[in-house]
Amino acid sequence: MELKVRKSGNIYIIDIEGEMDLYSAFKLKELIGKMLEKNISLYIINMEKVEYIDSSGIGALIYVSSALKKKNARLIISNVHGSVKKVIELTKLTGYFPMEETLRDGILKLQKG
Amino acid sequence: MSNTRIQIENNHNLMNKDGLFYKEFPSDYRQIRYFTLLIVQKAPPEIREINLLEQQVSELIKNAVKHGNKQDQDKLVKVWYSFTEEEARVIIEDEGNGFKAIRDWNDFNSKRNACLSDQNYEKLADFVSFRTDTSDDNDGGNAMFAALEYWNKGVVFTEKANCVAVGKTFRRKDAGIPMHH
Repeated sequence: MELKVRKSGNIYIIDIEGEMDLYSAFKLKELIGKMLEKNISLYIINMEKVEYIDSSGIGALIYVSSALKKKNARLIISNVHGSVKKVIELTKLTGYFPMEETLRDGILKLQKG
Repeated sequence: MSNTRIQIENNHNLMNKDGLFYKEFPSDYRQIRYFTLLIVQKAPPEIREINLLEQQVSELIKNAVKHGNKQDQDKLVKVWYSFTEEEARVIIEDEGNGFKAIRDWNDFNSKRNACLSDQNYEKLADFVSFRTDTSDDNDGGNAMFAALEYWNKGVVFTEKANCVAVGKTFRRKDAGIPMHH
Protein backbone atom coordinates (compact mmCIF):
# COMPACT_ATOMS: atom_id res chain seq x y z
CA MET A 1 0.00 0.00 0.00
CA GLU A 2 1.36 3.40 -1.03
CA LEU A 3 0.25 6.71 0.45
CA LYS A 4 0.78 9.99 -1.38
CA VAL A 5 -0.24 13.40 -0.10
CA ARG A 6 -1.14 16.34 -2.34
CA LYS A 7 -2.91 19.67 -1.80
CA SER A 8 -5.93 21.32 -3.33
CA GLY A 9 -6.18 24.80 -1.76
CA ASN A 10 -6.13 24.13 1.96
CA ILE A 11 -7.43 20.58 1.57
CA TYR A 12 -4.93 17.70 1.95
CA ILE A 13 -5.69 14.74 -0.30
CA ILE A 14 -4.25 11.36 0.66
CA ASP A 15 -4.20 9.05 -2.36
CA ILE A 16 -4.04 5.42 -1.33
CA GLU A 17 -2.86 2.83 -3.82
CA GLY A 18 -2.83 -0.92 -3.28
CA GLU A 19 -4.21 -3.30 -0.68
CA MET A 20 -5.26 -1.97 2.71
CA ASP A 21 -4.74 -5.06 4.78
CA LEU A 22 -3.39 -6.43 8.05
CA TYR A 23 0.18 -5.77 6.93
CA SER A 24 -0.21 -2.18 5.78
CA ALA A 25 -3.25 -0.48 7.31
CA PHE A 26 -1.24 0.95 10.25
CA LYS A 27 0.60 3.26 7.80
CA LEU A 28 -2.55 5.35 7.32
CA LYS A 29 -2.94 5.80 11.09
CA GLU A 30 0.70 6.88 11.39
CA LEU A 31 0.46 9.34 8.51
CA ILE A 32 -2.73 10.99 9.78
CA GLY A 33 -1.24 11.13 13.30
CA LYS A 34 1.72 13.11 11.93
CA MET A 35 -0.52 15.38 9.86
CA LEU A 36 -2.68 16.13 12.90
CA GLU A 37 0.42 17.28 14.79
CA LYS A 38 0.85 19.90 12.07
CA ASN A 39 -2.71 21.12 12.74
CA ILE A 40 -3.99 20.20 9.30
CA SER A 41 -7.77 20.34 9.44
CA LEU A 42 -9.22 19.33 6.04
CA TYR A 43 -8.64 15.80 4.76
CA ILE A 44 -9.75 13.66 1.84
CA ILE A 45 -8.80 9.99 1.79
CA ASN A 46 -9.03 9.01 -1.87
CA MET A 47 -9.70 5.28 -2.25
CA GLU A 48 -9.83 5.27 -6.06
CA LYS A 49 -6.89 2.85 -6.34
CA VAL A 50 -7.77 0.54 -3.46
CA GLU A 51 -9.19 -2.79 -4.61
CA TYR A 52 -8.87 -4.80 -1.38
CA ILE A 53 -9.58 -4.03 2.25
CA ASP A 54 -9.85 -6.24 5.33
CA SER A 55 -10.92 -5.69 8.94
CA SER A 56 -7.57 -4.04 9.76
CA GLY A 57 -8.14 -1.57 6.91
CA ILE A 58 -11.69 -0.88 8.09
CA GLY A 59 -10.25 -0.51 11.62
CA ALA A 60 -7.76 2.08 10.34
CA LEU A 61 -10.57 4.08 8.69
CA ILE A 62 -12.59 3.95 11.93
CA TYR A 63 -9.54 5.03 13.92
CA VAL A 64 -8.67 7.99 11.71
CA SER A 65 -12.25 9.21 11.38
CA SER A 66 -12.64 9.28 15.15
CA ALA A 67 -9.16 10.81 15.73
CA LEU A 68 -9.97 13.60 13.27
CA LYS A 69 -13.38 14.20 14.79
CA LYS A 70 -11.79 14.61 18.25
CA LYS A 71 -9.49 17.33 16.88
CA ASN A 72 -12.36 19.03 15.05
CA ALA A 73 -10.69 18.27 11.73
CA ARG A 74 -12.92 17.33 8.78
CA LEU A 75 -12.68 14.20 6.67
CA ILE A 76 -14.17 12.91 3.45
CA ILE A 77 -13.50 9.41 2.11
CA SER A 78 -13.88 9.39 -1.67
CA ASN A 79 -14.13 6.88 -4.53
CA VAL A 80 -15.00 3.86 -2.42
CA HIS A 81 -15.88 1.12 -4.90
CA GLY A 82 -15.83 -2.59 -5.70
CA SER A 83 -14.95 -4.96 -2.89
CA VAL A 84 -14.02 -2.10 -0.53
CA LYS A 85 -17.57 -0.77 -0.82
CA LYS A 86 -18.93 -4.26 -0.29
CA VAL A 87 -16.85 -4.86 2.86
CA ILE A 88 -18.02 -1.52 4.30
CA GLU A 89 -21.60 -2.59 3.51
CA LEU A 90 -21.09 -5.99 5.17
CA THR A 91 -19.74 -4.19 8.24
CA LYS A 92 -22.84 -1.92 8.02
CA LEU A 93 -20.74 1.24 8.27
CA THR A 94 -21.93 2.86 5.04
CA GLY A 95 -23.82 5.55 6.98
CA TYR A 96 -21.07 5.96 9.55
CA PHE A 97 -18.22 7.02 7.26
CA PRO A 98 -18.32 10.47 5.60
CA MET A 99 -18.17 9.22 2.01
CA GLU A 100 -18.50 11.02 -1.32
CA GLU A 101 -18.67 9.40 -4.75
CA THR A 102 -15.82 11.35 -6.34
CA LEU A 103 -12.81 13.40 -5.29
CA ARG A 104 -14.47 16.48 -6.82
CA ASP A 105 -17.61 15.95 -4.70
CA GLY A 106 -15.36 15.60 -1.65
CA ILE A 107 -13.51 18.84 -2.37
CA LEU A 108 -16.80 20.72 -2.95
CA LYS A 109 -18.22 19.40 0.31
CA LEU A 110 -15.18 20.51 2.33
CA GLN A 111 -15.07 23.91 0.59
CA LYS A 112 -18.69 24.60 1.52
CA GLY A 113 -17.61 24.43 5.17
CA MET B 1 -31.62 -13.09 5.65
CA SER B 2 -28.61 -12.32 7.81
CA ASN B 3 -27.71 -14.01 11.06
CA THR B 4 -28.15 -12.13 14.28
CA ARG B 5 -25.65 -14.00 16.41
CA ILE B 6 -22.66 -16.30 16.54
CA GLN B 7 -23.87 -19.78 17.47
CA ILE B 8 -22.20 -22.26 19.83
CA GLU B 9 -22.94 -25.88 18.94
CA ASN B 10 -20.57 -28.85 18.62
CA ASN B 11 -22.88 -30.88 16.40
CA HIS B 12 -24.13 -28.18 14.06
CA ASN B 13 -24.40 -29.41 10.46
CA LEU B 14 -21.75 -26.84 9.39
CA MET B 15 -19.28 -28.79 11.59
CA ASN B 16 -19.63 -31.90 9.42
CA LYS B 17 -16.27 -32.54 7.73
CA ASP B 18 -17.42 -35.32 5.36
CA GLY B 19 -16.28 -34.67 1.80
CA LEU B 20 -14.34 -31.51 2.66
CA PHE B 21 -10.76 -30.83 1.52
CA TYR B 22 -8.12 -30.38 4.21
CA LYS B 23 -4.99 -28.26 4.61
CA GLU B 24 -2.95 -27.27 7.65
CA PHE B 25 -0.56 -24.37 8.20
CA PRO B 26 1.91 -23.15 10.82
CA SER B 27 0.79 -20.01 12.68
CA ASP B 28 2.91 -17.63 10.62
CA TYR B 29 1.36 -14.16 10.68
CA ARG B 30 3.33 -13.04 7.61
CA GLN B 31 1.79 -15.79 5.51
CA ILE B 32 -1.90 -15.42 6.36
CA ARG B 33 -2.88 -14.04 2.97
CA TYR B 34 -0.75 -16.62 1.15
CA PHE B 35 -2.38 -19.50 3.07
CA THR B 36 -5.77 -17.98 2.28
CA LEU B 37 -4.98 -17.98 -1.44
CA LEU B 38 -4.04 -21.66 -1.27
CA ILE B 39 -7.52 -22.33 0.12
CA VAL B 40 -9.65 -20.11 -2.11
CA GLN B 41 -7.88 -21.08 -5.34
CA LYS B 42 -10.14 -24.14 -5.18
CA ALA B 43 -13.23 -21.96 -5.49
CA PRO B 44 -14.96 -21.52 -8.85
CA PRO B 45 -14.55 -17.95 -10.17
CA GLU B 46 -18.34 -17.41 -9.93
CA ILE B 47 -18.20 -17.28 -6.13
CA ARG B 48 -14.90 -15.46 -5.70
CA GLU B 49 -16.75 -12.22 -6.58
CA ILE B 50 -14.38 -9.26 -6.25
CA ASN B 51 -12.10 -10.84 -3.60
CA LEU B 52 -14.82 -11.07 -0.95
CA LEU B 53 -14.48 -14.81 -0.39
CA GLU B 54 -10.72 -14.38 -0.02
CA GLN B 55 -11.17 -11.48 2.39
CA GLN B 56 -13.66 -13.35 4.57
CA VAL B 57 -11.57 -16.55 4.74
CA SER B 58 -8.46 -14.52 5.52
CA GLU B 59 -10.18 -12.94 8.55
CA LEU B 60 -10.92 -16.38 10.01
CA ILE B 61 -7.38 -17.63 9.39
CA LYS B 62 -6.00 -14.45 10.93
CA ASN B 63 -8.11 -14.95 14.06
CA ALA B 64 -6.83 -18.53 14.36
CA VAL B 65 -3.17 -17.54 13.86
CA LYS B 66 -3.22 -14.43 16.01
CA HIS B 67 -5.88 -14.80 18.69
CA GLY B 68 -6.05 -18.61 18.82
CA ASN B 69 -2.46 -19.79 18.43
CA LYS B 70 -0.88 -16.45 19.50
CA GLN B 71 1.47 -16.78 16.49
CA ASP B 72 3.19 -19.80 18.06
CA GLN B 73 4.72 -21.40 14.96
CA ASP B 74 4.61 -24.84 16.59
CA LYS B 75 0.82 -24.63 16.65
CA LEU B 76 -1.19 -25.50 13.58
CA VAL B 77 -4.18 -23.93 11.91
CA LYS B 78 -6.32 -26.68 10.39
CA VAL B 79 -8.70 -25.83 7.56
CA TRP B 80 -11.44 -27.97 6.02
CA TYR B 81 -13.20 -26.49 3.01
CA SER B 82 -15.40 -27.05 -0.02
CA PHE B 83 -16.48 -24.67 -2.73
CA THR B 84 -19.05 -25.07 -5.48
CA GLU B 85 -20.94 -22.51 -7.56
CA GLU B 86 -23.79 -22.76 -5.05
CA GLU B 87 -22.05 -23.05 -1.72
CA ALA B 88 -18.89 -22.25 0.23
CA ARG B 89 -18.07 -24.04 3.47
CA VAL B 90 -15.04 -23.57 5.68
CA ILE B 91 -14.09 -25.00 9.09
CA ILE B 92 -11.04 -23.58 10.86
CA GLU B 93 -9.55 -25.03 14.01
CA ASP B 94 -6.60 -23.79 16.03
CA GLU B 95 -4.72 -25.12 19.05
CA GLY B 96 -5.50 -22.21 21.34
CA ASN B 97 -7.78 -21.78 24.34
CA GLY B 98 -10.80 -20.74 22.33
CA PHE B 99 -12.74 -17.50 21.75
CA LYS B 100 -14.07 -17.16 25.29
CA ALA B 101 -15.91 -13.90 24.67
CA ILE B 102 -18.61 -15.14 22.29
CA ARG B 103 -21.48 -14.24 24.62
CA ASP B 104 -19.99 -10.77 25.22
CA TRP B 105 -19.53 -10.41 21.49
CA ASN B 106 -23.17 -11.33 20.78
CA ASP B 107 -24.31 -8.85 23.40
CA PHE B 108 -22.06 -6.15 21.91
CA ASN B 109 -23.33 -6.94 18.42
CA SER B 110 -26.99 -6.67 19.40
CA LYS B 111 -26.34 -3.22 20.92
CA ARG B 112 -24.47 -2.30 17.76
CA ASN B 113 -27.41 -3.43 15.61
CA ALA B 114 -29.77 -1.35 17.75
CA CYS B 115 -27.66 1.77 17.03
CA LEU B 116 -27.71 0.89 13.33
CA SER B 117 -31.47 0.42 13.16
CA ASP B 118 -31.96 3.74 15.03
CA GLN B 119 -29.36 5.32 12.71
CA ASN B 120 -27.76 6.61 15.91
CA TYR B 121 -24.26 7.10 14.50
CA GLU B 122 -23.07 9.04 17.53
CA LYS B 123 -23.77 6.12 19.84
CA LEU B 124 -22.56 3.67 17.17
CA ALA B 125 -19.07 5.15 17.70
CA ASP B 126 -18.96 3.14 20.97
CA PHE B 127 -19.77 -0.06 19.09
CA VAL B 128 -17.59 0.07 15.98
CA SER B 129 -14.82 -2.10 17.40
CA PHE B 130 -15.07 -5.11 19.74
CA ARG B 131 -12.12 -5.19 22.15
CA THR B 132 -10.92 -7.73 24.68
CA ASP B 133 -7.96 -7.67 27.12
CA THR B 134 -5.75 -9.10 24.40
CA SER B 135 -6.73 -6.75 21.55
CA ASP B 136 -3.94 -4.59 20.12
CA ASP B 137 -3.77 -1.56 17.82
CA ASN B 138 -3.72 -3.69 14.70
CA ASP B 139 -6.96 -5.45 15.55
CA GLY B 140 -9.82 -3.84 13.67
CA GLY B 141 -12.30 -5.48 16.02
CA ASN B 142 -14.89 -5.55 13.22
CA ALA B 143 -14.22 -8.74 11.25
CA MET B 144 -16.97 -10.85 12.81
CA PHE B 145 -19.69 -8.24 12.16
CA ALA B 146 -19.04 -8.65 8.44
CA ALA B 147 -18.67 -12.43 8.84
CA LEU B 148 -22.23 -12.74 10.18
CA GLU B 149 -23.50 -10.82 7.15
CA TYR B 150 -21.41 -12.67 4.61
CA TRP B 151 -21.76 -16.28 5.85
CA ASN B 152 -25.52 -16.57 5.35
CA LYS B 153 -25.70 -20.20 6.53
CA GLY B 154 -24.22 -19.25 9.85
CA VAL B 155 -21.12 -18.70 11.95
CA VAL B 156 -20.80 -21.48 14.52
CA PHE B 157 -18.18 -22.18 17.17
CA THR B 158 -17.64 -25.38 19.15
CA GLU B 159 -18.14 -25.15 22.90
CA LYS B 160 -14.37 -25.09 23.37
CA ALA B 161 -14.50 -22.23 20.84
CA ASN B 162 -11.17 -23.01 19.14
CA CYS B 163 -13.03 -24.16 16.04
CA VAL B 164 -15.32 -22.10 13.81
CA ALA B 165 -17.48 -23.32 10.95
CA VAL B 166 -19.06 -21.02 8.37
CA GLY B 167 -21.19 -21.50 5.29
CA LYS B 168 -22.64 -19.42 2.50
CA THR B 169 -25.04 -20.22 -0.30
CA PHE B 170 -24.81 -18.35 -3.56
CA ARG B 171 -27.62 -17.65 -5.94
CA ARG B 172 -26.71 -18.85 -9.41
CA LYS B 173 -27.12 -15.96 -11.77
CA ASP B 174 -27.99 -18.14 -14.76
CA ALA B 175 -30.26 -20.59 -12.93
CA GLY B 176 -34.01 -20.76 -13.22
CA ILE B 177 -36.39 -21.70 -10.45
CA PRO B 178 -35.13 -24.93 -8.84
CA MET B 179 -37.34 -28.00 -9.25
CA HIS B 180 -38.40 -29.81 -6.12
CA HIS B 181 -39.52 -33.41 -6.28
